[in-house]
Amino acid sequence: MSENNPWADQWFEAQQKFVDAWGDMARSGGADGGGSQSDLWSQGFDMWRKACAGRTQPDMDLVMRKCMDMSKEYFSMAEQVSKSLGDGANPVEAVNQWLEEVKQSLQKFSGMPGFNGTGVADFMKQWFTPNASWQEMVAGLTPMNQAFWQMPGMNTSVFNLGEAIDPLGKILEAPGIGYFREPQEKQQKGIQLALEYQEANFRFNQAFLRVAIESIHGFQQRLMTLDEETAPKSMRELYDLWVEISEQHYAEFAMSEEYQALYGDMVNRLMIMRKHYGEIADDFLRSLNLPNTREIDTMQERLQRVRRENFALKKDIREIRAMLAQLGAKAAASTTARPARNKSTPRKPAAAKPAAAKPAAAKPAAAKTVTQRAPAKKTATRKAAVSKTAAKKAKVTRSRAGA
Amino acid sequence: MSNIPFRSDQVVEELVQFNKNLSKGVKNLLDADEISAGVTPREEIYAEDKLKLYRYQPSAGVVQNKIPTLIVYALVNRPYMADIQENRSTIRGLLDTGQDVYLIDWGYPDRADKYLTLDDYINGYIDRCVDVIRERHGVDKINILGICQGGVFSLCYTTLHQDKVKNLVTMVTPVDCKTPDNMLSHWVQQMDIDAIVDAMGNLPGEMLNWTFLNLKPFQLMGQKYVSMVDIISDEKNVKNFMRMEKWIFDSPDQAGEAFRQFIKDFYQQNKLVEGGLKIGEHEVDLKQLKTPVLNIFAEQDHLVPPASSKILPKLIGSKDYTELSFPGGHIGIYVSGKAQSTVTPAISDWLNTRSK
Repeated sequence: MSENNPWADQWFEAQQKFVDAWGDMARSGGADGGGSQSDLWSQGFDMWRKACAGRTQPDMDLVMRKCMDMSKEYFSMAEQVSKSLGDGANPVEAVNQWLEEVKQSLQKFSGMPGFNGTGVADFMKQWFTPNASWQEMVAGLTPMNQAFWQMPGMNTSVFNLGEAIDPLGKILEAPGIGYFREPQEKQQKGIQLALEYQEANFRFNQAFLRVAIESIHGFQQRLMTLDEETAPKSMRELYDLWVEISEQHYAEFAMSEEYQALYGDMVNRLMIMRKHYGEIADDFLRSLNLPNTREIDTMQERLQRVRRENFALKKDIREIRAMLAQLGAKAAASTTARPARNKSTPRKPAAAKPAAAKPAAAKPAAAKTVTQRAPAKKTATRKAAVSKTAAKKAKVTRSRAGA
Repeated sequence: MSNIPFRSDQVVEELVQFNKNLSKGVKNLLDADEISAGVTPREEIYAEDKLKLYRYQPSAGVVQNKIPTLIVYALVNRPYMADIQENRSTIRGLLDTGQDVYLIDWGYPDRADKYLTLDDYINGYIDRCVDVIRERHGVDKINILGICQGGVFSLCYTTLHQDKVKNLVTMVTPVDCKTPDNMLSHWVQQMDIDAIVDAMGNLPGEMLNWTFLNLKPFQLMGQKYVSMVDIISDEKNVKNFMRMEKWIFDSPDQAGEAFRQFIKDFYQQNKLVEGGLKIGEHEVDLKQLKTPVLNIFAEQDHLVPPASSKILPKLIGSKDYTELSFPGGHIGIYVSGKAQSTVTPAISDWLNTRSK
């Protein structure tokens, strides 16, 4: 019995029936009335997931969504492999043929304005997760709301709308006139900057597309080189191999000069655009006699400077007080001719010492360095001890003191 | 092409089993309690702005090191990584092996913190926390354990305040930020950091998240969730998975000015290696660092490649330098069972012999 969600047992029971029914359908080799098995699976699970929405911890709901999305991609791949293996043809050739088809379908998107991964085979969508998550993040960070990025072309890569409304670029380049000259020019510049960002985003996405196609080729080549021992023994192993090869191709790309330039350009253009729109928003707020970012920044910077000065002054005062206390103690000691310091008295931290006393404190510190060499010698012994006991696998690879 | 030694009906059976596991796992997800962050009891002993300094409750019956240890965590992500669950807690391990553990929790900076600089963090916040601990314990010097970016801060702090630091432990700390295998560093070289900070104020945690996840997108955003299906039919695994998941996406924003300086000075100009690093008015010359150093790195670290940390002995002036290499990743060094039995005891061993 579920403690947190009493209805979860009923949900689970109903869902089990769906899982069993799906299993029977998959074993019999297909879905009635068309539609792929992975589509049916995904629709079914999505329905179950939505039924739980709002009844789980928010973190759980997010994880469940990710788990379902990725499982769908895995199912899509498995379905294709299963089909390839099941049509009676040579399984190796069948899988190869399927991968060729995937490559060709991806090549169709090459150079396509607005391409963002939509329309590619489900399992290949993972190649465009960086782009999709980038778009999601950007939508949350830029002054334009979601609706802006959902406009035709804007949520993807090329600002088609801009071309549609201003094919010759005349409107954006038209000089501002009259009383609203400055705001008009700023708006024009804003659109221009948005265009530039979208173009940078387009170049970034297209590079991903190219590398995704290369990765399929790499996958085919790897499958060619596998022998009986190294060949994947299950669908999951095949999937893991695909992940490994995709990650390798991605890493090579991500470490290239090309990636560095494309990514840097995309980020920089986004930030320039965002800053520009921030300035427009500032102007608007100022016109309403409301505080804007520039003004708040000025106040915060001043405040932080004052706080620093405050801390420095407090520190000075503490040190002066400590110095006075020390002088007072010295004076009292000299009049009573008692030892300057009682050994049982806890030592005061160095912070309480006067600043002038600090250089003197450096001498004992130097002496301590010498004494610390003794324990340092023990490091070598301890090194062995660590490697034998605690650090069974962690390695103490070098010890200057022990060397 | 080689043979593919499984049949279509096997694939179907695998999927049916996958479905069953997923179904059970989803039920466990529905049924799970809210995930807690950090497990070891602690008390807040100092607070300033959004910073909180905690002291962890010592383990009963353990002889305690008289020199307390302050953990300085990174500004990115949250420090409960070091105390993620009962049997996977670096902090618990340190307490059990006799350390008196303090930790700085930086909190979640917001717009009001935009002008915090590295000087404010290192010579301000850290220094005041160190003073609080020294005062409480009546000692001149304490031990510092810096983690990742917190390790960089600790290196700078110790170099500038050697009269207050007895021993320094750096864990997965980027020192040379321009090693050829450093993907993070590679990505930021052509970024206009000024434009980012000027446009955003603080750097949003979402951007950092995006960056970290995209270092290995297929594993971290895909395979992980497919593999999760294998383990979530066990309630305990669900909780453990969710703890990690919570931590991964728990990314505080970064104070703008501190971020600007950190990326420019360390990742773009590599000043810890090349020289010329200044924190506030003070030049950080690692050659002046004479404090004993234990430098720990992870061999499969994709965020801080080992080479980035291993350069440290060439740069510092300390004659007491020890290195510990862990066969795992950037996170595994805190949360893996192996780390609990090897890394933490080794740290305590090293500290105990140098804290007399």
